Amino acid sequence: MKPTTISIGRAPAAFDVFADFLDGHAAIVRRVRLTIENDGMANAQLVISPSEGPPVRWPLDELRAVPDQAGGDALILRRADNAVARVILRNKDAITSLRGRCRNLHRRTKVKGRMRLFGWGLGAVGSVALIIFVLIPILANQLATLLPPEGEKALGDTTFEQIRTGLDRSGIAPVRICSNAKGVAALERMRARLTDDMKLPYPVQVHVLDHEMINAFALPGGHVVFFRGLIDEAKTPDEVAAVFAHELGHVVHRDPARITLRSAGSIGVLGLLFGDFAGGSVVLFLTERLVQASYTKEAEAKADAFAHETLIRQKISPIALATMFERLRAKYGDEDGIVAHFTSHPAMIKRIEAAKDAAKRAPQDYEPVLSDTDWAALKAVCRRAQ
Amino acid sequence: MIATKMKTEFAGRRGRLFWLTLKTSLLTLLTLGFYRFWMKTRLRRWYWSAVRPGGQPLEYVGEPIEKLLGFLIAVVILAFYIGVINLLLMFASFSLLNDNLAAYAMSFIGIIPIFFFARYRARRYVLARTRWRGVRFGLDQAAWAYSLRAVGHWLLTILTLGLLYPRQVFYLEKFRTDRTWYGTAQLHQGGNWKMLYPGMWNMLLPGYVSAIVIGSVWMEWSEPNMLRLLFITFPWFVLGLLFFKVRSFRLLTSHKTADGVGLKAEPRSKRVLGIYLLGYGISYFLLTLLILAFIALAVAVWMIYFRGNPDDVGMMLGQFPRWGQTAAIMVLYFTVFILWGVLQHVFVTMPLYRHYAQTLTITNPVALTGIRQRERDESREAGGFAEALDLGAAI
Repeated sequence: MKPTTISIGRAPAAFDVFADFLDGHAAIVRRVRLTIENDGMANAQLVISPSEGPPVRWPLDELRAVPDQAGGDALILRRADNAVARVILRNKDAITSLRGRCRNLHRRTKVKGRMRLFGWGLGAVGSVALIIFVLIPILANQLATLLPPEGEKALGDTTFEQIRTGLDRSGIAPVRICSNAKGVAALERMRARLTDDMKLPYPVQVHVLDHEMINAFALPGGHVVFFRGLIDEAKTPDEVAAVFAHELGHVVHRDPARITLRSAGSIGVLGLLFGDFAGGSVVLFLTERLVQASYTKEAEAKADAFAHETLIRQKISPIALATMFERLRAKYGDEDGIVAHFTSHPAMIKRIEAAKDAAKRAPQDYEPVLSDTDWAALKAVCRRAQ
Repeated sequence: MIATKMKTEFAGRRGRLFWLTLKTSLLTLLTLGFYRFWMKTRLRRWYWSAVRPGGQPLEYVGEPIEKLLGFLIAVVILAFYIGVINLLLMFASFSLLNDNLAAYAMSFIGIIPIFFFARYRARRYVLARTRWRGVRFGLDQAAWAYSLRAVGHWLLTILTLGLLYPRQVFYLEKFRTDRTWYGTAQLHQGGNWKMLYPGMWNMLLPGYVSAIVIGSVWMEWSEPNMLRLLFITFPWFVLGLLFFKVRSFRLLTSHKTADGVGLKAEPRSKRVLGIYLLGYGISYFLLTLLILAFIALAVAVWMIYFRGNPDDVGMMLGQFPRWGQTAAIMVLYFTVFILWGVLQHVFVTMPLYRHYAQTLTITNPVALTGIRQRERDESREAGGFAEALDLGAAI
């Protein structure tokens, strides 16, 4: 049997030191003597003896160090199952010696009611999801149909500026609107032809942005925006006209107003969630989402159908939509996020087929959408004036 | 021997804080911001433990997980506000006025009461998780009452062109202090609002002059070069504000008592100003140095590995692949972003804590022996609103 008494001075490992003790009941600092009982054994305990009253015993395995303390001059100890009492040890040798004896010193203390916390967290995430994915879309769809034309136009103008700023990588100025006079005039002639029998509460405005993305999108209030990348990629003016007609379909069906209102609602919430930890990240995200505007399959199909009808009426072959899609698909594949929303759509093959069907139905008396001179001018729309 | 005064020590060292903030900022970045609850907890633990009234460190016992939860609860409520209410406001604003300014204004006005509510709740949470000598602090539940008073006081201050600002500062502080507890001892805010007046004029005078100058130039009553006056009045106003803040802190704290225990604060305005100037100066200097080193490195790589002509640096950037450019810019951006935060802690926040701590004394500490523990305040929402609205002050 090992004696329980501790021989001071003779055994080098003996632990006997003074420390401060906070009992967690009164705002009083007590000077206590610390010793170890059953040292080196599994049931070793720290004995905390105040000058008056009975000693307190804490098993060494139950000792935890309070983390992230400044100064580095003290070790603050707690018992794993006691939230308030503390031992503050300032003797350097004693700290080293105690560290060697306690296996669980840096183990985390359990947080109370973890399951309840988890439940709350799950509920919170669920509610936010409900707000973003159900409430806001329903509300946005309703509001989009109620928005008066002037209001929709103002919304579109504001969003267009935000997108131009958001797409800019240089940090100096918004992405440039291509303004080569002959090119703009050519695009304007294309617009006039495609929209000549359309009844819209606002005029359609078309822009080309000087950006390499192969894409085009529509914004509320009759904005249709092409990226230079798409104009570069197109082999014939018919292909540009086909994409144009598709975007006009979105304009007529008011899809952009819907998606813009929806993004305006949900982006704020997402910004909240991520705390905008590096600033501006949300604006970037907003831009990506608007440009890659993911309309529903039905909205896309309706816009395609609209495009077919418009093209046929204007004596332009709907096959151009199919050739453009097919080439982009061969080049970038079905689901490349960089490519336009109409190319990344999984139902692409169906849409190509639909365009081919429409082309079969159409009378074959096509008229070129642009003259060769105009087409050359449109191709050079982003060239700066010399 | 019974001491009649207890001084406060500050035990923090810059080196430890530097590594702690750097490590936690990196983790926050890598977790898309979610580690920030852990970061905030660890930093508070560190700062609290550095402040030692009478040699005994404060202890911060808040848990990151409860902050995350409180944040999520606040997000649900704010998500509704931001998502649905703002959407409706935006719709109304675009429909009726063809503009979104009205929506922003309305949305901003709507958030003001929530702002004060959030501040009070955050204070309650922090006090409930702060201990000294093993005894908890606490703050009574009164966040909406506080918010109402804060809005009222602000209206009064605005209507009186700032003349009643000291009254507002005093009564809001009194509202919070009189509801604060240290264990079983309730704090009391003594003094009166007129004691804050003397420091007021260095704020009001330049404020008025600036307003008159801007107003008269706006209305084209005076020459635009009158605006040069702002170079004098604006810094004067900022200094006046800083001196007023430090002075009111000194006066208000020195008039706080709790069951016979008193406080005495003696921070010096000039010292606080010095900390700000030096801290920001050092931070700017170090960051500029870093950016210059980055550029020098890029140029050196160009010269050595590509045997390039120094005049063609612009061309090199052009030839560099797009993703490489983006990556380099991102790395530089986040390095600057993180280092700025770290330097602010090391050279501004910590010196401020140290100064405010070292100039704080506790009078009649013998009365502390009568103070007992108070019940734990669950404070379930854990300052989540303040977190969600980004009111997180320094830490």
